[in-house]
Amino acid sequence: MPFDLATLDAPFAALKGYDWGADAAWLKTIDDAVVAAHGDAALGADLEQRLAAVLGAGTSRAAKEYACRKLMMIGTAASVPALAALLGDADNSHMARFALERIPAPEAAQALRDALGTVPPGLQIGMIESLGGRGDAASVPALARLLAGDPKLAAAAATALGHIHTPDALAALTAADPLAGSGVGRAVVDARLMTAEALLASGKRAEARSVYEALANAVQGKPGAKGVELAAARGLLACLDTLAAAS
Amino acid sequence: MRIVLVCALLVLASAPRDRAIAQDAVGMILDLVGREDVDFRRLGLDGIRHGAKGEDATRRFAALLAERTPERQVELLHALADRGDPAAIPAVAALLSASREPAVRTAAIGVLGATGGGAEVAVLSESLAATDPERAAAKRALITLRGDDAVRTMIEVAKSGTPAVRPLAIDILAERRARAAVPLCATAAIDADAGVRRAAMRALGKLGGPDEVPAMVRGFLTAAPGAERNDAEKALIAVCTENPGKAQAAESFLAVFKAAGDADRESMLSPLGRIGGKGALAIVDELLADPAKRDFGIRVITRWPDATVADRLFELLAAAQTPAERDTLLAALIRIAPVPENKLNDKQKLELVQKILPLCQKDEERAKLVERVNAIRTVEVFRFVLPFLDDPKLAEPACKSVVELAHHQKLRDAHKDDFAKALDKVIATTKNPELVERATRYKEGKTWERK
Repeated sequence: MPFDLATLDAPFAALKGYDWGADAAWLKTIDDAVVAAHGDAALGADLEQRLAAVLGAGTSRAAKEYACRKLMMIGTAASVPALAALLGDADNSHMARFALERIPAPEAAQALRDALGTVPPGLQIGMIESLGGRGDAASVPALARLLAGDPKLAAAAATALGHIHTPDALAALTAADPLAGSGVGRAVVDARLMTAEALLASGKRAEARSVYEALANAVQGKPGAKGVELAAARGLLACLDTLAAAS
Repeated sequence: MRIVLVCALLVLASAPRDRAIAQDAVGMILDLVGREDVDFRRLGLDGIRHGAKGEDATRRFAALLAERTPERQVELLHALADRGDPAAIPAVAALLSASREPAVRTAAIGVLGATGGGAEVAVLSESLAATDPERAAAKRALITLRGDDAVRTMIEVAKSGTPAVRPLAIDILAERRARAAVPLCATAAIDADAGVRRAAMRALGKLGGPDEVPAMVRGFLTAAPGAERNDAEKALIAVCTENPGKAQAAESFLAVFKAAGDADRESMLSPLGRIGGKGALAIVDELLADPAKRDFGIRVITRWPDATVADRLFELLAAAQTPAERDTLLAALIRIAPVPENKLNDKQKLELVQKILPLCQKDEERAKLVERVNAIRTVEVFRFVLPFLDDPKLAEPACKSVVELAHHQKLRDAHKDDFAKALDKVIATTKNPELVERATRYKEGKTWERK
């Protein structure tokens, strides 16, 4: 049975003034509509339009958060502009990223990339994490540039590159100093290990082995690097073992 | 000392400053286990445990044994044991043969136990004649050794090994639950060597069934009076009252008993009573009816395992021919009435206790009854015991029973106020500091750990 769109009018009107702690039983109508939208493109488009409208001025923070959560499930390129508009707003940036990180449309990634250069410094780390969370290969040059700058942003960028694990991301990480201070070196090491593990898990044993070997060589004999050496040796052993098993 | 120093220098000399990364898993593991740093070595040992599959790899790892210090040999041996590959056996056996270090020998035995089969029984059996910890390790290894051929070979050791080793071999076969060893044990139950006999009876107690009862009775009768006889009796009773086929085993025992001569029957009275059952009771009745054998009959029935003979005991008590006979029969009733698994429910048990109480003529008999009754864990028993707290001659056993009943939290909590009052009385009455401590703890809702 098609979903009756008229039943959404009242809940969406109420949603604009919704606040945390208030009775939210009426939200179930919207929740049900979101579920029904899977396989019903017309309903999905209508819902997305209504939810995007909630993100504009004059609605509560709780309402915006709710809308972001739902757009995370049904959002498309159509809702990206409304979400992108919130990225620079400290109160709503996090929830907007929550949706944009999961909306598969390339426009969502582009919005995050664009925001990386425009949002206030305190919100940049969030953009970096979301780009990493999306595994966004196109953001590698921007993230690579950050590796040499502010330590907090550099550490976040390293972690994001570790999630992206493309050859370019790996090249950027390999160029970074695994023994750098202020937590950057540790993040670089973790990211290289993450990359190697992802390569190993996807059957690219020789590539994974190269990553472990390079890391082992980079830290061999350096003070305070025993943990890294051990981790690299463990990974290398796993690679060699699976290589032997495969041959 | 000099050897250790030379080895250490060799290791240092062989550790290049810029270490080349090995190109294969085995090479890398060999490199890691050769390091001085314990964390890297452990990583390598983990590699031996779980990585680089295959017999060739195992042989290369095991070959390291010959060139390591005893300490490193031990850790390598533990890793090889966990690896579980029989390909390590030749190198490990060679080390066992060459090393006099107890820790190395024990670890090597562990590897043979984890990886070996029948072929390793001989070498492991030799270590059974050693002292602990090597002997204990050999025992564990022979218990875990895999394969039917291991059992077959061990049976041969149990048959024709040295006197020191044969009992241990039988114990190991029993621990392995090796049914194939039962015929051997049946024969060994009457062996000339007491150690072998005792081990055989222990094994039959674990593995035996109805078919083994005649042999076990022979073993029981062959056992020297004292500890050996007592242990043999326990094994026989286990087969007739606990093991699979216990009912048939008990019947088999009765058949052997009936066919035995008077002297043997005299020896078998004790297990007869403890095995119990209708058939045994019929035999006891025959004994009791014969004035010449009445004493035997009394001894048997007073060792009965359950309360099914309670009425018979009351009858005999009423007609007791001597004070000693009366005491024996009453003691049997006091023992049997509250005992768990006596085939009565809790209400029937308490009724039996109440029926016995008026028959007690001595304070120690009443005290015994009041103390033993706490094995029945009901509030009715608690109420039965309470009045005795005010009887100076029975107050101590009553205190003990109240405390034992209070130990059971569900019972105590269900009747909290009554128990609180009773425990106050215990604290004020008993001269036993442990009972005071326990009563105080239970009143506060705490537990108490039995020492």
